[in-house]
Amino acid sequence: MKQKILPYLLLAPMILVMGVLVFYPIAATFSYSLKKWKLTAPNDIRFIGMNNYKSILTAKSTWYSLQNTLFLLLLVVVATTVLGVLLSLFLNVSVRGSGLLLAIAVLPWALPPYVNGILWRFIFHPGYGFLNKVLLKFGLVEAPVEWLSSRWTLLLVVAVVVVWRSIPFMALVCMAGRQSIPHELYEAARIDGGNGFGIFRRITLPLMLPFLAIGITSTSVSAINIFDEIIALSGYGDLGKNILVESYLTTFTFLDFGKGSAVTYLVMFLAALLGVFYLRSLNKEVEY
Amino acid sequence: MKIVRKIGYFIALTVFLLLVLGPFLWAFVLSVTPEHAMFAQTLEILPETVTFENYAEIFTGGRKGTLVITGILNSLKAVGTTLLVGIPICLLSAYALGRMEFKGRKLLKDLLLITMVIPVMATIIPLFRLFVERELLDHVFWLSMVYVSSYLPLITWLMMNYFAAIPRELEEAAQIDGCGKVTTFLKIFLPVSRPIILSAALIMFLNTWNQFQIPLILASSLETKPVAIVVSEFMTKDSIQYGLTAASGIVAVIPPAVTALIFRKFLISGMMKGSVKG
Amino acid sequence: MKKRLLSILLVAAMTATMLIGCGSKEKSGDDAKKDEEKGGDSITLMAPDWAIPTEDQLAAFTKETGIEVVVNEVGWDDIREKLATAASGGQAAADVVEVDWSWVGEFHAADWLETLDVTEEDKKDMPTLETFTKEGKVLAIPYANDYRLSYYNTKQFEKAGIKEEPQTWDDVLEACRALKSTGTVEYPFAIALNAEEKTSTCLMWLAYAMNGVVWNEDGTLNKESVTEALQYMETLIKEELVAPEDKTSSGMDAYKRITGGSASFLTGPTSFVSRSTNEEECGVIGEITPILMPGKEGKSKVTMALPEGLGVTKFSENKEAAKKFVEWYTSADMQKELNASNSAIPTRNSVLKGLVDDGSIKNAGAMLEEAELIVSPFPNGIPAYYAEMSNAMYNAINKMALGELTAEKAFAEMDTKIKELVEQE
Repeated sequence: MKQKILPYLLLAPMILVMGVLVFYPIAATFSYSLKKWKLTAPNDIRFIGMNNYKSILTAKSTWYSLQNTLFLLLLVVVATTVLGVLLSLFLNVSVRGSGLLLAIAVLPWALPPYVNGILWRFIFHPGYGFLNKVLLKFGLVEAPVEWLSSRWTLLLVVAVVVVWRSIPFMALVCMAGRQSIPHELYEAARIDGGNGFGIFRRITLPLMLPFLAIGITSTSVSAINIFDEIIALSGYGDLGKNILVESYLTTFTFLDFGKGSAVTYLVMFLAALLGVFYLRSLNKEVEY
Repeated sequence: MKIVRKIGYFIALTVFLLLVLGPFLWAFVLSVTPEHAMFAQTLEILPETVTFENYAEIFTGGRKGTLVITGILNSLKAVGTTLLVGIPICLLSAYALGRMEFKGRKLLKDLLLITMVIPVMATIIPLFRLFVERELLDHVFWLSMVYVSSYLPLITWLMMNYFAAIPRELEEAAQIDGCGKVTTFLKIFLPVSRPIILSAALIMFLNTWNQFQIPLILASSLETKPVAIVVSEFMTKDSIQYGLTAASGIVAVIPPAVTALIFRKFLISGMMKGSVKG
Repeated sequence: MKKRLLSILLVAAMTATMLIGCGSKEKSGDDAKKDEEKGGDSITLMAPDWAIPTEDQLAAFTKETGIEVVVNEVGWDDIREKLATAASGGQAAADVVEVDWSWVGEFHAADWLETLDVTEEDKKDMPTLETFTKEGKVLAIPYANDYRLSYYNTKQFEKAGIKEEPQTWDDVLEACRALKSTGTVEYPFAIALNAEEKTSTCLMWLAYAMNGVVWNEDGTLNKESVTEALQYMETLIKEELVAPEDKTSSGMDAYKRITGGSASFLTGPTSFVSRSTNEEECGVIGEITPILMPGKEGKSKVTMALPEGLGVTKFSENKEAAKKFVEWYTSADMQKELNASNSAIPTRNSVLKGLVDDGSIKNAGAMLEEAELIVSPFPNGIPAYYAEMSNAMYNAINKMALGELTAEKAFAEMDTKIKELVEQE
């Protein structure tokens, strides 16, 4: 009997925390999204079913923001994964002071995103920011480049900034995954006559997959949730806004809590799609 | 061949240092540039005159400087509380979900893991109302509980992964010796878990340091607001102080940077699977 | 091994002290809260850093009235978000709160603010009070003045061969062309074009100064006036009289080009009077003169104010004490003191005059004269949908600046949105 309740007992704190601080709020937010609830009309709060969703899904700006979100997601995840793996290979080389290099590598992670955005705004400042100064100095361009004035370059800059702070975690996870693979496995494979690529495909990749999955999951989550960097780089303007900025604008600037919650649920929906996908790779148990 | 590799490594090292430290160096340059020269139309990268006023403000107890220091202390408090509460909860959950058989295990595990992807915006308004009702606003402890709830899935997964490498036989042997599940956990799992605990602590430290939206709404009083918010407040509406923002941004990175340096070994080792055996 | 143990102990000790540290803090916080409930005469003030009185000033207030003031300093951008979130839960974020002029409409519609009593005398002395009045009710009292005033760099104008102060917007345009063609200044006109609030207000004051009207009585945009202002902006952009970076860097950065010396003409915040004499902020001290805003034929007869005020929240449990505080804070004596301690520009013209006369405000130029011309451009007060309207306006202007829309199309875009908003009202 005791054996049976023990696991639930051990899990009780977790269930309590997650239930109260995560599951209850997301359910509440969903109920808000079914209401007409605009703070500037305090006497007109009522249930309107799916109307908020209808109105945001027919608005052009929602789709525009969604495109931006997806573009950022793709760019950030691909770039972070590739560069994170490269960084992990570099940090894996053991030389004197490689521990120090590791500590340096995590610095971008330690920087609050908003401060990060401001830092990079000075680099990409359309007038005499650092990058323009360098480019002008070496005569690579004639006039300062307006980095932030077209949709795609702006998003590209946002992606660069986010990638810069997401790489460290990805690299750490990859290093951990790579170092977890026992040497014996490689030796055995070599004795069996495997070549470089074959070993990578049969051993390295499958064994690193769960680690990559956790890295990619965490990167995707931060890519969907990019907010501070966009605000620091370009403000609340239409050009660079993603779904999260849209949701913030609707909720806190236009004070429409009902519609704002519905927009937030779009992000939720997107996140859940990714979540289901990752869950499958996370759940794979690896045996060495 | 060896020389080529060495040169290659050297180039990689230079690129690495440039890309990682470059923005920080540039921020430093800005932090010592007088405000009016910030956007001067010149190609000179270094300013003509240098001022350390921003650092003086922070370290000699100017009004805004005091805010930065208080912010750093507040952040540290939140980190401490989050770790003390979060680590035990994660350990227990990871042990139960990873090493015990019971009804609903898969469901609970999936439910936990999937919350990893939930954005803060989806929970913040109801959370705020909850905090108002229960009078929990501006308390470091409850703020930290919200952080814990957002780190739980990732950290629990990492710990489960780590425990997975502990041989079943070891556990069984302990049970044959008459140890219960709890004693097995204390005697077999806990002693070898130091690397993962430190790893998890570092990850939680760094993530807590970055929090912005949550504390903004739940704990933005002077006694509780973290340094990330303090720094952002130097740039609002009409009072934009780039120099001070850059300077305090640099100062704010010091605590996590030093911690990462001291515990650099555990940045990876805890997340590794095989480390238990060795 | 010993070293490891030591490090672990160290961490444990550190975290433990932290926890104890915050534990005791929390308790004291709780106690303080309980005390408040008992005493009753304690209020909280939520405002940005420039509005926070000094400790001495607060102590004087407490001594005078017996009311304790707990200060909650919040970044300006975050105040509205905090108020909204709190109000959605039926709570007061604070007893006394910052109220920006642009928030008045929605705060009124959301019913978050108490009506304040103001004497006729004060109303006359504070022209910006009109901005905080909705349906005859005063919802907040302005404490920091900000109205649009023009500035030009006399040295640069002279260098380009222009001797006279510009009187009309055409004068300004000609002067800028001359400044550019003589190579004196590459981008002489500083104006906000980024997608942000300041850009909307730039269009408002420009149309207002040109034609004395921005909105029709029904709340829709006045087509002739606004289109003319947009076309003027378009000319500035096309002839590259504004800096390319102004299109995407923050409005404040654009304004600051005048003190940085890279622009020769600015119509902007009153704070540039003091900024232009501040060594740290200004690289061209002694060259900038504040002048009356130009108009179509001669100087503009009106100017627009963008002041900040303090209001008392409806959910406050200590309204009387809160009102007392607002009254004290915006009194003539305090405005004088706050100018010295926080460089706040007084909203009472009598105080402003005193400060200019006794030399506390240097390089005032036309500052005082312009203050007499403040009239709100909003025919029915600030509308409840201001935020959405401003969002539509700045996005359309920004698109025009980036070359995606013509002035006419930009007008059409904002006009459609605003008509929609007016209809929903």
